[in-house]
Amino acid sequence: SASSLAAAAVAGAVRGALGPRGGRALVLRPDGRPLLTRDGRRLLEALCLQPPTARLMAAAACRHRGATGDGAKTFVLLLAAVLRGLRAAGGAGRALPDFERRVLEPAAALGLRRHLLSAFPGEEAEPRVDLAALEALLDAYLRGRVGPGERRRLARLCREYLGRCAARRPPALRLLGRHFEALHAAVPGLPLDGSAVLPGVVLRRDFAAYSPASGAAGAVVVTEPLHAGPSAPGVELVVGSEGQYEAARRWCEARTEAAVKRLRSSNVGLLLSSVKQQDVVIYYAKLYGVSVVECLSAEEVALVREITGVSPYSPFGDNGCSEITDTAAVTFCRPLLLGSKRYAHIGFASSACAFQPHCLVLCGPVDGVNEQHAAAIQGAFTMLQQLFKTVDGREECRSKGESQSDALDVCSRHSSATQKQLTVENICCNSNQVSEHQLKTHRGETDTQIVDSALKGSENPAGIQTASQIPSNPASHSEELNVPCRGAGSSTDAQKPHAKCEHSGEMHKGYESDLPVDNQKNYGTAVLTTDNANTVTVCERLDVGKDLEKASCGIIPFKHEEGCVSVAQNYSSSIIEAGSVLPVGGYFEILLHYYIQYYAKQLQQSAVTVISSVVADALLIIPKSLHGTTEGNSFAKFYLKTTNALRKNQPLPVNEKGLESVYCKYQLVISVLHCVTELLSIDLIIGVKRPLQKIEDNDSDDDL
Amino acid sequence: MSRLEAKKPSLFISDPLTKDTVSQSLSLLNRILKSCYGPAGRLKQLHNGVGGYVCITSQSSAILGRLSVSHPVLKVLTASVQNHIARFSDCGLFTAILCCSLIENFKSLHVPSCTVIKISKHLLSLCTDYLKSEACGCRVSVDFSNLKTLLCLARSILTSKPACMLNATEVDHLAMLIVKAFMFTIPCHVETKAVLGKCVTVPVKGRRVLDSTVLPGLLIETPEIQFAKLLSVKRISSDTIKIALFCVSMSGDLFNPEEGTITVHHRISLEMSELNQLLNVGKQLVNDEVGLVVCQKVIHPSLKQYLKENQVMAVDRAGLSVMEPLSQMTGSKPIASIHSFSPSCYGSLKDVCTKSFGSKHFVHLIPNDTVVCSLVLCNRNETAWDELKCACETAEHVLQLTIKEPLALLGGGCTESHLASYVRYKTCSLSTSSFKDVDCSQTQYQLIADAFCRSLESVACSLSHDDEILTDMVYGHCWLVPSGFPSVSNWSDLLSKCGCGINSNTQNLNWRLLQPHFGSPTIQSCPKEPSVDAADLLTLDCFAAKYSGLQVAVETANLILDLSCIIEDQN
Repeated sequence: SASSLAAAAVAGAVRGALGPRGGRALVLRPDGRPLLTRDGRRLLEALCLQPPTARLMAAAACRHRGATGDGAKTFVLLLAAVLRGLRAAGGAGRALPDFERRVLEPAAALGLRRHLLSAFPGEEAEPRVDLAALEALLDAYLRGRVGPGERRRLARLCREYLGRCAARRPPALRLLGRHFEALHAAVPGLPLDGSAVLPGVVLRRDFAAYSPASGAAGAVVVTEPLHAGPSAPGVELVVGSEGQYEAARRWCEARTEAAVKRLRSSNVGLLLSSVKQQDVVIYYAKLYGVSVVECLSAEEVALVREITGVSPYSPFGDNGCSEITDTAAVTFCRPLLLGSKRYAHIGFASSACAFQPHCLVLCGPVDGVNEQHAAAIQGAFTMLQQLFKTVDGREECRSKGESQSDALDVCSRHSSATQKQLTVENICCNSNQVSEHQLKTHRGETDTQIVDSALKGSENPAGIQTASQIPSNPASHSEELNVPCRGAGSSTDAQKPHAKCEHSGEMHKGYESDLPVDNQKNYGTAVLTTDNANTVTVCERLDVGKDLEKASCGIIPFKHEEGCVSVAQNYSSSIIEAGSVLPVGGYFEILLHYYIQYYAKQLQQSAVTVISSVVADALLIIPKSLHGTTEGNSFAKFYLKTTNALRKNQPLPVNEKGLESVYCKYQLVISVLHCVTELLSIDLIIGVKRPLQKIEDNDSDDDL
Repeated sequence: MSRLEAKKPSLFISDPLTKDTVSQSLSLLNRILKSCYGPAGRLKQLHNGVGGYVCITSQSSAILGRLSVSHPVLKVLTASVQNHIARFSDCGLFTAILCCSLIENFKSLHVPSCTVIKISKHLLSLCTDYLKSEACGCRVSVDFSNLKTLLCLARSILTSKPACMLNATEVDHLAMLIVKAFMFTIPCHVETKAVLGKCVTVPVKGRRVLDSTVLPGLLIETPEIQFAKLLSVKRISSDTIKIALFCVSMSGDLFNPEEGTITVHHRISLEMSELNQLLNVGKQLVNDEVGLVVCQKVIHPSLKQYLKENQVMAVDRAGLSVMEPLSQMTGSKPIASIHSFSPSCYGSLKDVCTKSFGSKHFVHLIPNDTVVCSLVLCNRNETAWDELKCACETAEHVLQLTIKEPLALLGGGCTESHLASYVRYKTCSLSTSSFKDVDCSQTQYQLIADAFCRSLESVACSLSHDDEILTDMVYGHCWLVPSGFPSVSNWSDLLSKCGCGINSNTQNLNWRLLQPHFGSPTIQSCPKEPSVDAADLLTLDCFAAKYSGLQVAVETANLILDLSCIIEDQN
């Protein structure tokens, strides 16, 4: 009950900033600088909460926000509502995992699915966000993050930025998210309308030396001073005669001159330095027409290195005669006056992952607003990355015995509820094809630990498995060779390949063309998914597709993102497919509320039913607070309209243009439930005097 | 070992705008700023309790920079205005007063802040679209072939700063100097991208304002030059002097903190060798027929003596600030090495002479191409000089902004009252679809539009501190009733010219009192554009600064109205 009270207090603090009608918070930092924000994570951090349970909740909310880019405030509200509900119901928290498996997942996979829209309209092998969907997503996302007068302009700006950077796929979005700090410039004192997208990169330094002719030449990055005197710190120079000393100094300067000359002769027109260069270097650079930007921040250097692929040039590393080859192609380089400061504006020829570097210039009356806008846009990049994810793994951490018996339970229920028409022969045959194919593609790969998945396969007593599960074993064994390219998540996937009879042939072709190219990328994304902690699970739902028009169960032997999405249009075994979106404004919560109740009715177990009603009611807190601030009963109207439409099987009455990612939303519910489980399982809080040592968890890193 | 301290929990204040402290401090700030506004503005004396420097001013930059604001909401407001001043120099008070009035007026309406923000954003776009459009009745285009408008701009800025203590002739003199200095900084040979030169202000305090002057080129203060009565400088031709610019120290010191230990054998003097090297540099300079050597840092006395003997003038301790204009003006590259330098680094000057102002002595470097000039600014005392310098820099900046966008707005409150009547007229004839756009009722829209206009008018009203202010129904301009007359019904007897000076009292313009506290009649017709007849003494404001100031004021007001809570970190 202490945790319930703490959660209610925290929720009260963030409620004011929630939703399109929420206001923003003015955070006064310890150094007195004001920060404006509506970001739940910032708010929770700024509150400096003291009660241990509240801190735990805030940490969980921030973790969720960090992983998905959205939803810290919603997290807290939902958490408070669930805790309150559980307290009122008299604590049935132990049944939460059961609820998740038996009610929540079917509700999402079977119920929610038919209402979902996709943000990837094209049938491309590599999905990218549709422009119209992008605008709707950004608009809805920014609505909760910036003021009402700024939202539209920022959404347009952000869409233009993404369009011009050609960043509508995960690799480029990740790059943007990582380097946005260096990819935007803030100008305080100008109205928001002055904001613009500029081609190239704006470095937050003026040129130390500038020559206009250096535009179309190459650029090098240096991380050490080009000039070194005759003696250095820690080095003793013994001078034998006056002439000797003079000659040493002369030689040092001549060496610097030669270094600059060499740059020029290698067609290098721009020197990007992370350290301050001495006056002599600037002098020679001016003399030989080389532009210099010095004292670059680590982020800027990292950005330049990533988009151009050059490594830092070491001036005295080699013999000093050969031509410098590791240069970045520069299309233009000029000083740029933003506000009253001068910056170096540099255009790099496009390079890695077709990313076109652009700089976002954000204008706002005060720095605090610019910070808010920049953080919101950076969050939007994280949110867009989530769009490419699917909810499909099974969690590893559960005890095996329990999960097996559950699987039995669930499977038998499903097989009785849905008459499966797959024949054993067919699937066997198909999976054999699959495995052959995989062997072919991945023969070169070395195998690592997939003992896990093999073990699990053998542990499954054959008798328990339904007919369609049996053929999964050959496929999972054959995947052993495939695993290294998919990371840790594969051991889960290996358990449950599905077969879709008619389409398997085509799919193989698809893989053939996809895999060699995408291996590297897929690996990266798979790692990222597992990295984000809460990989949500799908149990073996052979009937997942049953409720869809096409009575099919998808075969996805490869559960990596791109491959999965290319077939996901027709058949999928995931709970939530990549690119799934819903209209914003509480539709997700009401739908989930409805379907949780629907699926809970089919269960007899009382504990799960209790939890179901608690969670279902708690979910309504979100649309309630979104609608609550305006005229009295708008929430009730909205609720009735939506549920009526659901009962009559009509399309949802939507008058919202904004969209939100269902993955984020679903992930939020799961994270909240995990946090509740965690909170309820704590029985004693012990204060300690010494700082707690963080225990390094090596295994999580090694697994990846 | 790191010391861990428990963090204090933060202070959480919800709905800060409903609190009394905010409205009190906001209205206090508003009153202070309003009383400073305009040519008749009251001066503020700023000083701290323990004595020291006293500042007498009416400029927003000086006041806001020195005022310590404690409330976080006001901190945001002042930070926003200060950022605006940093960008545009001008219209700081306008922005601040408008912002305060908007917050006060909107707050008293009790309409949800979300709706207020949407509507005020819409009203702002009405204003900005109008100001940008050709049909705008409160802007004039600036003709650079005619200096009159430029002089008007400079004069308006000087007169609006009463703490400069200038009379009419002094204002005229300084306005002329400012425009002249501005003209110097425009490069003669314009390439693809023109870069304006620089005007350096040289302080001379304790002299008459009319002694101020503008000189092409740079003045470098050199206390010792007074002894050298006659300047003998080696010239290449009658109007060319070669100049070498050094940014490295020529003092002969060996100390370099970055370097390691140097062990020197007995009887070896590195200082000696360093000096020899310097003298070698001197020889090379003499051989290259350099006439003037300017060093950013110190020159060794021996080298100085050597150069002097060879008719090379040496100026040292020039400082970093003159290096850039000097290199721009002479075309020379600052030399950073005393071991080798090429003759390509030298630049050229037209002439060098000495100048004295008051007790100060200067070397005057006269360039061939005058993109750099020096404004020798005199005023009687320190505080008035500071104020004047600020005003001159503002005027210089405004002229630079005007060359980018050759427009000016009517001053004297006319732009504000004209805009207000335009907005009133527009909102009367708004279609219902636009209410749907911003998701509000017509009543709400009218209420907020009225508050918006009253805020604009209250800026115009702050121009007068005792007198009554009127507005006419034809042009929507602002008229000041001379003080000392009782309230009469026939105003046309008293009025001669409107605030900006463009309209004179020739017809009955149907005046009404401009009082921001009462509702005003609906306006049936769009305010007209006056026929511009090259009126001489127009009061003009910088277009870019006011345009941006209007936007910043509305955006900042929205920002503050949007605040739902304040979290103060107590650590």
